[in-house]
Amino acid sequence: MHSEYPPTLPAEYADIEFENNAQRLPLVLCLDTSSSMAGQPIQTLNNALMEWTRELHDDVSLSYSVEVAVVTFGGQGVAAWRGPQLLAPRAPVSPFVPAHTFRPPQLAAAGVTLMTEALELSMHIVAARKAELRASGLQYYRPQICLVTDGLPTDGTGHLTDSWHRLIPVLAEEQRARRFRLYAIGVGGITDMGEQVLQAFAPKFNARLQGFPFRELLQMMSASANAEQKGAGDEVFEKIFSQFKTQRPAWES
Amino acid sequence: MSGLTVFLDGKPVTLAELPLKGGGQAAVFPVVGDAGIVVKLYREPPGLDQERRLMRMLTMSPLAARPTDVSQPPELAWPTALARGPQGEFLGYAMRRFGEPRHVQLIGLFTRAQRLKLFPDRADWRFLLGVAWNLAFMTARMHYDNLVIGDFSSSNVVVDANGFVTFLDCDSIAFNDPVSGELFPCLMHTTDYSSPERQAGGPATRATDDFALAVLVYQLLTAGNHPFGGVPHDSASESTVKDNIAASCSYVVRPELVVIPRGTIDPSVLPPELLTLARAAFGPGVHAPAARPPAEAWLRALDKERSLVRVCQNRPLHTYGSHLTSCPWCTRVAVTGHDVFNGPVPVPVPDAPGQQEQTGAAAWAKALKVALLIVVVVILIVIATHAK
Repeated sequence: MHSEYPPTLPAEYADIEFENNAQRLPLVLCLDTSSSMAGQPIQTLNNALMEWTRELHDDVSLSYSVEVAVVTFGGQGVAAWRGPQLLAPRAPVSPFVPAHTFRPPQLAAAGVTLMTEALELSMHIVAARKAELRASGLQYYRPQICLVTDGLPTDGTGHLTDSWHRLIPVLAEEQRARRFRLYAIGVGGITDMGEQVLQAFAPKFNARLQGFPFRELLQMMSASANAEQKGAGDEVFEKIFSQFKTQRPAWES
Repeated sequence: MSGLTVFLDGKPVTLAELPLKGGGQAAVFPVVGDAGIVVKLYREPPGLDQERRLMRMLTMSPLAARPTDVSQPPELAWPTALARGPQGEFLGYAMRRFGEPRHVQLIGLFTRAQRLKLFPDRADWRFLLGVAWNLAFMTARMHYDNLVIGDFSSSNVVVDANGFVTFLDCDSIAFNDPVSGELFPCLMHTTDYSSPERQAGGPATRATDDFALAVLVYQLLTAGNHPFGGVPHDSASESTVKDNIAASCSYVVRPELVVIPRGTIDPSVLPPELLTLARAAFGPGVHAPAARPPAEAWLRALDKERSLVRVCQNRPLHTYGSHLTSCPWCTRVAVTGHDVFNGPVPVPVPDAPGQQEQTGAAAWAKALKVALLIVVVVILIVIATHAK
């Protein structure tokens, strides 16, 4: 079998849980950790990740098939995390961790907003993970990538960049082919321009939210993962997302 | 904090602010001040058909002759009252609460980590066989009462510490009104448990239930392996359980068709009669509903095995079918190092790092004991001093 993406590791070491043949659900959290997130926002994010992790461990259904990877953009650039462990660039280790053993990283905010590169890395690790799973005989549900940002894409020197334009046709094609579901969420003081970027990335699943409602955001990711496991149709995902987007309690309609 | 107020039989109850569980269609809320019930509210106005369905259900008491054992919970979380808004509008219904930690979704038995956490010291193969029996019994009973489960999956059945099962989503059950004959169809299904005709949009029938039952029983008897797992050798790109079901591609029947993940448990852990039923369900039965073993066939075959289960003398929680001459779980440990029923605690063998860790833990425990003793002595002295 051939894939344009080399696996991050030969299949026999790819940390495929020796557990059962459950169909897997790769989930990538692609998080903005640039300087604008410093202070309360990054603390809120860390707390939300801790609480979500607890819920994930307790969720018998999700812990059966979800595996989590974290990608951050900020500081010196783009980074992948294997649970709490920061991976060296091109480390031959998969960043995906089974839900029941996932522990969140402790994130700090600084630096620039390499959003384009972070999305490219997210797409790459998803494609590589799929190749690993397939080579091991494991099926997968449609992966979910969740981009969260409060800013605009910049280059390595912190200047605004148009590099994200190159992603638009790629993302459109990948989503059309149902290779993953991308959620693009703007938080905090994201600008109209920032929102337009997110709309271009994820025409259906984008949102601009007041404040930093990371708990609700992560719960929405869990709800979508549950729907994916159940084999729900697109309309169910749109419903879950619109409920989240308007930040209404479930029973209000 | 509390949330919405709804009316059950005209009586107002306040719901918790946050649901226990929310799906795309509905959310289930605890009731403030009553831990015994929950209220399921639909996200969209459920409509007249659903209201009539639930009204009919309130007049029925299926499986009423059961249970016989006081320790056994009901097999159905049957609606107990309609939930209405202040203007009398239909919002959902109330039912008995079957929540964690006492009731766990069946899927919790499908991974070792959850088995060890939620069913400590009891979730062995004998237990799984018993759960399979209860599931087959429940299905057979419902079919006898002219109920079709319809949406039958590892997420909407819960199991308790005794292995008893309860079906949760009764509002999707398909049935004919016993009085008017009106059919209330099941509109929900879960892809990984759906037969091809159901995936293609066909109605829920006993035969679609029998397909889901076969998958669930197989998963239980193999500690969580799905019979339609594995990636076909010739598949082009994405491949899912759903695709394998549609293509009638099960490694239980045709192992040569797929790449079988290395952790997969061999189908031969099923006793011969049960394996024959599984092969019928996952072979000819995939596309021919009539060829699927009915729930009673599973029940009879499971019943025979329950009294014959063998117990391994070498490791705890290792039990297996009478058709095997040696423990398959020990064989697996020997070959792969993975114990399906016991945690990854190293078996005490002379091994440098393991020993060190043990010594470390023992020393820590000892230090803790000494510290506790000191605290107790100090408290006693303080009490003694004050008593004077």
